[in-house]
Amino acid sequence: MTSEDAAAAPLQSFDGTIWSAVDKALSGISAQPERGVQDVIVHIPRDEVIRGLRALKTNADMAFDYLRCLTCVDNEGDGMDVVYMLYSTTKGHNLTVKAHLDANDLHLDTATTVWRAANWYEREVMEMFGVRFRNHPDPRTLLMPEDLTDTFPLRKDHPLAEIEVLQGEGIAWATEESV
Amino acid sequence: MTWPLFGMDMPVVLDLFIRMNIIVILMTVMVMGLIYIERKVLARFQMRLGPTRTGPMGLLQSVADALKLVAKEDVRPTNADPWVFELAPYFVFVPIFIGFVVVPFASGLEVRVLDLGLFYLLAASSVNLVGWVMAGWGSDNRYAIIGGLRSVAQSISYELPLVLSLLAVAMVADSLNLTEIVAGQAGAPNILWQPMAFLIFFIAMIAELNRPPFDIPVGESEVVGGPFVEYSGIRWSMFFLAEYAALFIMALVGSAVFLGGWAWPFGEQLGLPWQIVLTTVKTSMMIFVVFWVRVTVPRMRIDQLMAFAWKLLLPLSFAQILVNGAVLVYELPSGLTHALLAGSGVAGVFIMMWVINRSVSRPRPRPVLIPRTDQTWEATR
Amino acid sequence: MTSMAPEQEFETQDLMINMGPQHPATHGVFRMVLQVDGEVVRDVVSHIGYMHRGGEKLSETMDFRQGIGFMDRTEYLAQFNAELSYVMAVEKLMDIEVPERSQWIRMILCELNRLSSHFMFTGAFGTDVGVFGTGFTYAFRERENILDLFEEITGDRLMYAYFRPGGLAWEVTDNFVARVREVLNVSKQGIKDMDGLLTENEIFKARTQGIGVISAADAIDWGSTGPVLRASGVPLDLRRTEPYLKYAEVDFDVPVGKVGDVYDRWLVRIEEMRQSVRIIEQCLTKLQPGPILPERMPRMLRTPPGEVYLRTEAPRGEYGIYMVSKGGNRPHRLKIRSACFANLQALRDMTIGSYVADAVVILGSLDIVLCEVDR
Repeated sequence: MTSEDAAAAPLQSFDGTIWSAVDKALSGISAQPERGVQDVIVHIPRDEVIRGLRALKTNADMAFDYLRCLTCVDNEGDGMDVVYMLYSTTKGHNLTVKAHLDANDLHLDTATTVWRAANWYEREVMEMFGVRFRNHPDPRTLLMPEDLTDTFPLRKDHPLAEIEVLQGEGIAWATEESV
Repeated sequence: MTWPLFGMDMPVVLDLFIRMNIIVILMTVMVMGLIYIERKVLARFQMRLGPTRTGPMGLLQSVADALKLVAKEDVRPTNADPWVFELAPYFVFVPIFIGFVVVPFASGLEVRVLDLGLFYLLAASSVNLVGWVMAGWGSDNRYAIIGGLRSVAQSISYELPLVLSLLAVAMVADSLNLTEIVAGQAGAPNILWQPMAFLIFFIAMIAELNRPPFDIPVGESEVVGGPFVEYSGIRWSMFFLAEYAALFIMALVGSAVFLGGWAWPFGEQLGLPWQIVLTTVKTSMMIFVVFWVRVTVPRMRIDQLMAFAWKLLLPLSFAQILVNGAVLVYELPSGLTHALLAGSGVAGVFIMMWVINRSVSRPRPRPVLIPRTDQTWEATR
Repeated sequence: MTSMAPEQEFETQDLMINMGPQHPATHGVFRMVLQVDGEVVRDVVSHIGYMHRGGEKLSETMDFRQGIGFMDRTEYLAQFNAELSYVMAVEKLMDIEVPERSQWIRMILCELNRLSSHFMFTGAFGTDVGVFGTGFTYAFRERENILDLFEEITGDRLMYAYFRPGGLAWEVTDNFVARVREVLNVSKQGIKDMDGLLTENEIFKARTQGIGVISAADAIDWGSTGPVLRASGVPLDLRRTEPYLKYAEVDFDVPVGKVGDVYDRWLVRIEEMRQSVRIIEQCLTKLQPGPILPERMPRMLRTPPGEVYLRTEAPRGEYGIYMVSKGGNRPHRLKIRSACFANLQALRDMTIGSYVADAVVILGSLDIVLCEVDR
């Protein structure tokens, strides 16, 4: 679901969830809630997401001091969602934060200023999805070879098995002649 | 001039030649045997079988290994310093070998009796340190350099307690001649009068041999073999040979100086076969303990190793020498002298154990167990 | 005479040491570049990715039953725990109720797997500290026992693929309870052996105490989980904080360290093994005959659209599966949140300033599985 879908379904109930407290913590930030299967999902616009995350971390009621996971979902033509799974070790509650990126502008501020744990996760998202995290302290590739910076394996338009990587010589797409 | 060998008179040159050959053959066979025994002993400690396939009970395993190593290609890294790299094994091997000249296997069974035998042996066997550094430096490998430098630091540090502990015994035995030291122990072995010197000698010996828990220069999980990392084939096997030959010679010296060598008990009376049995049993015991220590304890860290040598072993061995000197200079009655020596040694052992225990066993909080409660998450913190 | 200060006399240069990918102490193909000044580590740069097999991409092409097998391959020392996260994510998306018996069996197998994985740790860590293989062989004897049991149940020693969405692939063997008890009795002695071999050893204590310390706040900030986090004093155990399966119904303690050094990680893991034994014993008494799968399971699993981040407590920490489904029989996106990945991030902070030999010990204390890090 994208933020538009979530906004179109305002009748969902958030009773018994932490949404009201989250809403309070995120005052001044236009956040949209969504009832996930397990955790509450909050959609925050791209430009405000780091501000929102920092607010969620520093707010005394929220205290999301722990970044469980950071990843990205390719929505096939509908841009990408960067997903943050948060947890509070003091309060014991969970939250998922999503930031939607348009396909033609994959830039986002880094979350390493909020949690250091975001470092490697962001590096992985950078090389796998081509999302650029601004001001990332160490923007090298993580799992991929160092020279594999022009293709993004986890994007949906990336073929699964037909790639032949010649390290140090760029990428050769396997054609019928080469096979 | 003639020297007697097994009751026969023969020219000096021939006599030397025969004796040296006996040493060379003995050493090679001993090393092969030691490797086999070590593998079997280690395997027993680790619930394994060890070598079983080559020959009866795997007895030919060492021979097979030696053949394989000789047949293997001798690889030299491109950037290695050719002379330093290729000469290093000899610098490790030869000093150990010439040390055997003075070792008394049994009464009259040594290459030469030197008045400064102990001194000569220590001087000769320290030279092999040069080979270690050469191997580390010449290999053009960073693990090797680190290993080589660690080896220098360690050997220099442990040389002192080793020499001083032997010196303490030499004071008691009133000689530096190994043959005389052994012969002087016909009544009782020196370990009774110098237990702490023996302990220091044993620890320093393990460190000199780069064996666990002091195998820092060659630590497999850190520097992957240290100075030997680039060696292969016959050159590597020479390092290996030197390592076990050094173990053998150190165990021989320990058994000769502290445990009475071939002389105690009843060495003189029962003759050559019994003397050889005595030497073999005592040496084997020392070697077995070295193996035993190897499988039991973790490796120490370089700073702990240094602190152990300089802050504990060295002062204690100096203290033992001072005590020995003070006791021996007054020429007290023999019983009192020996009682004082033994008492100081035992006290030193206890001091050593107390210091080690105090420095390691600091009070330390154990993990707490958080049981299941019906309370909320915050309450469990 | 004029004396020169040492810093004028010599110009020293830090030495770069490349440890890995082939190195006996890196637990797989991990590479760290150490910048050392003498024996002291000044900087560490970790390089991972040598084992990257594109598991997340592959999972997008595999349907919900095929994906189970791949989870074994990510976490090859705690396969049941990895499978559990995956099948539970599918169950959560499809809203499947798992029969009681299956839940108890899953719990028993996961805890046994925790035991086997921690045995592996005790052995491998002993080797890192420098025991010449003795702890290793003893630990492997214990692990072998448990693997034998797994083989009897699943038919495979390592890659089990035994859990299914909804329950289990097939019923366990008839003598399951007796065999588990037998294995537990052996394992109890094994825990005692490993504890007795190293925990009170003077050199072991000297080597592990006070090194690789990470504070609770730092551990949380780095996203560490599992024994690494608990050794730092944070009582965070998903079995306790967010009970899944039947963990709310069994009694067990969560060991929490006080110092946060390598020695605490060792102690916490040893204690966790004892607690695992305790959990399994309780599970065995509560295990009742019954169905192992819900009555109606579709031949082809299809989930409604949705997303779930499902985490369970694997031996190394939180093993999470973030699964996005757009409907259909395979996930749209599958992210594996690996515990070692997060724990390994903190390595640099822990290692800087310690000795080279300690770097190996600290890495060993994190108990990484490179296949899980790289996926």
